[in-house]
Amino acid sequence: MSEIAHALIVTGYILSVVLTLAALLTWMERKQSALMQDRIGANRASILGFRAIGLFHIIADSLKMFLKEDFVPARGVRLFHTLAPFISAFCALAIFACIPFGPSLPLGDTTVNLWIFDSDISLLYVLALGSLGIYGIFFAGWSSHNKFAYLGAMRGAAQMLSYEIALGISLIGLIMVYGSLSLNDIVHYQGRQLFGFLPAWGVFLQPLACLIFLTAGIAESKRNPFDMPEGESEIIGYFTEYSSMKFGLFFLADFIEVVVVAALVTVLFFGGWQVPYLQADGFQLPGGTHWELAPLAVGLIQVGAFCAKLFFFCWLQLTIRWTLPRFRYDQLMRLGWQFLLPLSIANILVTGIILVCR
Amino acid sequence: MAKPKLNLLERLYLPEILRGLLITTRHHFANLTVHILHRVGLAKGKRGAVTFQYPEDPRPVARRLRARHRLMKRPDGSTRCVACMMCETICPAHCIYIVADEHPDPRIEKRPKSFDIDLGICVMCGYCVEACPEDAIRMDTYITETSSFTREGMLLTLDDLMNHHNEDNFPKHTSS
Amino acid sequence: MDKFTVTINGHTIEAKPGQSVLQTALDNGIHIPHYCFHPGLPVAGNCRMCLVEIEGVPKLQIACGTTVRDGMVVWSNNDRVRQAVRHVLEFLLINHPVDCPVCDQAGECGLQDYYMLVGRYDSRFAENKVVKHKKATPIGRWVMLDQERCILCSRCVRFTREITKTNEMAIFNRGDHAEIDVFPGGELRNRYSANIVDICPVGALTCRDFRFRCRVWYLKQAPSICPGCARGCNIAIHFNPERPHHAGGRRVLRFKPRPNPHVNAFWLCDDGRYSYPFIDDHRLRFAALREEGGVRQLYLKDALDRLADWLRASRSGRTAYLLSADSSNEELFAARKLLRDALGVRCLLPDTGLRTGDADDFLICEDKHPNTRGARILFGLGENDPVAPDRLEAGLGAELPELLLVNRADLPSPLRDKLLAAGTRLVFLGTNDNATAAAAHLVVPLVVFAEQAGTFTNFEGRVQKFELAVPPLGDAAPEWSVHQGLAERLGIDLAFPGPAAIFRQLTAEVDAFRGLSHESLTPHGAMIRHE
Ligand code: SF4
Ligand code: SF4
Ligand code: SF4
Ligand code: SF4
Ligand code: FES
Repeated sequence: MSEIAHALIVTGYILSVVLTLAALLTWMERKQSALMQDRIGANRASILGFRAIGLFHIIADSLKMFLKEDFVPARGVRLFHTLAPFISAFCALAIFACIPFGPSLPLGDTTVNLWIFDSDISLLYVLALGSLGIYGIFFAGWSSHNKFAYLGAMRGAAQMLSYEIALGISLIGLIMVYGSLSLNDIVHYQGRQLFGFLPAWGVFLQPLACLIFLTAGIAESKRNPFDMPEGESEIIGYFTEYSSMKFGLFFLADFIEVVVVAALVTVLFFGGWQVPYLQADGFQLPGGTHWELAPLAVGLIQVGAFCAKLFFFCWLQLTIRWTLPRFRYDQLMRLGWQFLLPLSIANILVTGIILVCR
Repeated sequence: MAKPKLNLLERLYLPEILRGLLITTRHHFANLTVHILHRVGLAKGKRGAVTFQYPEDPRPVARRLRARHRLMKRPDGSTRCVACMMCETICPAHCIYIVADEHPDPRIEKRPKSFDIDLGICVMCGYCVEACPEDAIRMDTYITETSSFTREGMLLTLDDLMNHHNEDNFPKHTSS
Repeated sequence: MDKFTVTINGHTIEAKPGQSVLQTALDNGIHIPHYCFHPGLPVAGNCRMCLVEIEGVPKLQIACGTTVRDGMVVWSNNDRVRQAVRHVLEFLLINHPVDCPVCDQAGECGLQDYYMLVGRYDSRFAENKVVKHKKATPIGRWVMLDQERCILCSRCVRFTREITKTNEMAIFNRGDHAEIDVFPGGELRNRYSANIVDICPVGALTCRDFRFRCRVWYLKQAPSICPGCARGCNIAIHFNPERPHHAGGRRVLRFKPRPNPHVNAFWLCDDGRYSYPFIDDHRLRFAALREEGGVRQLYLKDALDRLADWLRASRSGRTAYLLSADSSNEELFAARKLLRDALGVRCLLPDTGLRTGDADDFLICEDKHPNTRGARILFGLGENDPVAPDRLEAGLGAELPELLLVNRADLPSPLRDKLLAAGTRLVFLGTNDNATAAAAHLVVPLVVFAEQAGTFTNFEGRVQKFELAVPPLGDAAPEWSVHQGLAERLGIDLAFPGPAAIFRQLTAEVDAFRGLSHESLTPHGAMIRHE
């Protein structure tokens, strides 16, 4: 199989997983919030009387988005106004290029790698793209020629910059332990075991970093309780002047970011596609029991495990979003700069001391 | 209001957040289970949500609900209203428009030639009902669906008020 | 002579000897409930509502029938009196139907008012009411009778006996079967019949014209002068500003008399009272221009542009103006300043409202315009004016005018046709539509008297003020503002900033009006100086 065909197939696979999940999340968000609040949630869209527990709302919504007027404010800047949602969606999507969705699958005499590229700077690439996402927000606010959109963008940029730092620093401890910036290496490292029985997942090696990363990650994706930039219900946000599919892209980018955070948490802290005790040749339980499995079966289980973990963290983020009220802006800034940042720095120190003493 | 004093654990937020997550998650899965049971025809008596699936499943209304107006009739079917305009006078929204007319029977003397209520303006206060000396106007039709695509459509005329076409809408699903 | 005083409810009041206690109290702002007493009618003393306690007199006395004595001490508000009056009211209401919801009097009813003032008891009458014969029966062109509601105060009887001397009404039968009625086979035939609606303290006599049009509490009032004839009876305009769905959108719903001892006392003739519909019906709201191919509506300012052009073009003395005696003194004065003095226009007062022989010895005058006297004074018209319609053509001079401005009047159709045939430009300034307005080349809408403030001079020379009641309809403007607009367009230095200011100019310039001002005209108007 040629390199290009291989890359195309894997890209297709990853994109379909991510986009399906993102679309599904728009529905899940409503249904799950409804269940959590003893409601029923969206269930009215129907095709020939079938309601499919509200799943058709995804179609109805996208149809609506496509049919709406694409509006640009009279004194807005059309180029940037158009560019902004693309930047947002692109930055979120491009992160998946280096995320391993599974191990190398042996298919006949070839192997399929379920990642698009792997390199020594994957993690830097992820952080870099995450920071670039700010441009989407800022362009949107600025080009709308609307004070409220602009203020929303300012809040968004300030918030993302602040949490970017805590996010990056919290990962340093992890890198020190794993000794690599390649996500593949990181996942492989987590296949090991601590004390002979505990999977060497990031969450056990770096529990504090995990917490900080999750918090900062949610803040990065601008969702409750950190949704000041949008504040859809009362404070007006940066995409006030957006309609039609441009708004749809922002909306989608939001959910893609949820998947991004879920994927990163999985890869960095929860073993990626690793399943505890599952080695390349089958299960190897701590008691010495061995259960032989074909390499392909092992690979498929691991791909499934990755998807399950991804889904779980998406669910977790939705649950958090519908449980916690929004922070005040000063509380948000205080949390970012006065708690998360010092904690992540302390985390580096402690990690360093432990590594040196070992 | 005095702020409650938080102890260290509460101020750490994390345990409290976990507690919150637990509550919402419990609701989530309990309701999910009930819904799934409903799908397979079990646990019909237990509600998975407080939602009323309006309009198929209208909400029970209180007996004293003030809904769309109606005008009462005399035994001969003519209106009981004598166009005294007490309701028009008391109406805080100024949404009742009555034009009076001579009644053929001098013992009754007066009747409305036209009697319009603009539901688009009405605030459903019920003062008109209180003010009426003839018990001619009531708000007990239990008709709450009064929307229209036009402003004119919101205007109830004498005919609409006399024949509210919804006799079977009476206390059917009321709770007291 | 020493001061003559009485003490009523603790207030010591100077009184006129020979006056009744009730009148003395009313004149001094002390209200004693009363039904049968009316200041314009002889005293009957039959309702017993005005009972008062007089110190030294063992029984309660009726205030309307007791003459004041020096040093008399009267109480109308102590418990004994209140209780007695409450019982009188209870008796009066025994057979009363209390059908206030359908009664047009509700809101201005003596029974309602006094029930709230002194009554407020629960009915104790469990027996059957005596039902009278006539309910909602017309007894004349304007009056509706409801016998059940009558409290037999006999005001209406006294009115027809003493004021109109036509004696149509009487009280028939006795005891609780007594009822008010017109004589069998008769009906009200006097020209003041609607006054009994005003004086009837309850809803027994109501107005057929106003019947069910509007509830009285929706009405607002403005003091005004009746425009029906040269007498200038004082009226209150009752108008309905907020609920246009009543009475088919008419704003003014009735005229009521306003007492003025020098002019109309308490009364108003039926003709004047029911002349009000012209205020809302068939009004000219917008200017109109007749051109090739039809009539075009235009803004007032454009109409004035056009009129100014025409005036400029025919300044040669061949412009004439037909005044109107329906205009206020202020409007006439503005016309005089601009048209007569500045432009040298020939001004005539046509007489379209004289109904010879249609006068009586009470209020009604032959001249059906309210301000003929004012027009004559302001334009210095002589004995031959106003000009009768048949002499109008001669009055216009040998040559027919090039431009003729007609104020309100409807020209006789032969003259109109002749003018149009001769190529005269006909400009109609007026309030209501008529044949002349329909034929005119240009129509300028004016406001009626009720839509502006101003003064009329009645036939005796009494200058009386009226106030604005309702806002102008459409583009209609007061005549003085039309003249102001024309003066501006013609470059003539004249300012008419409003009725009060114009009246000041007028009194400064016209001898007959010297010394008057709008303020000095309340409440009863003032006489001009005799020429
Ligand atoms: S309910 Fe209230 S607002 Fe509505 S018509 Fe009656 S009085 Fe008016
Ligand atoms: S208060 Fe009653 S009787 Fe009077 S107009 Fe209204 S509905 Fe008719
Ligand atoms: S006369 Fe007065 S008390 Fe009698 S029904 Fe009429 S308003 Fe009511
Ligand atoms: S009709 Fe009126 S004015 Fe005449 S007696 Fe009766 S209450 Fe008096
Ligand atoms: S007012 Fe004196 S008795 Fe009627």
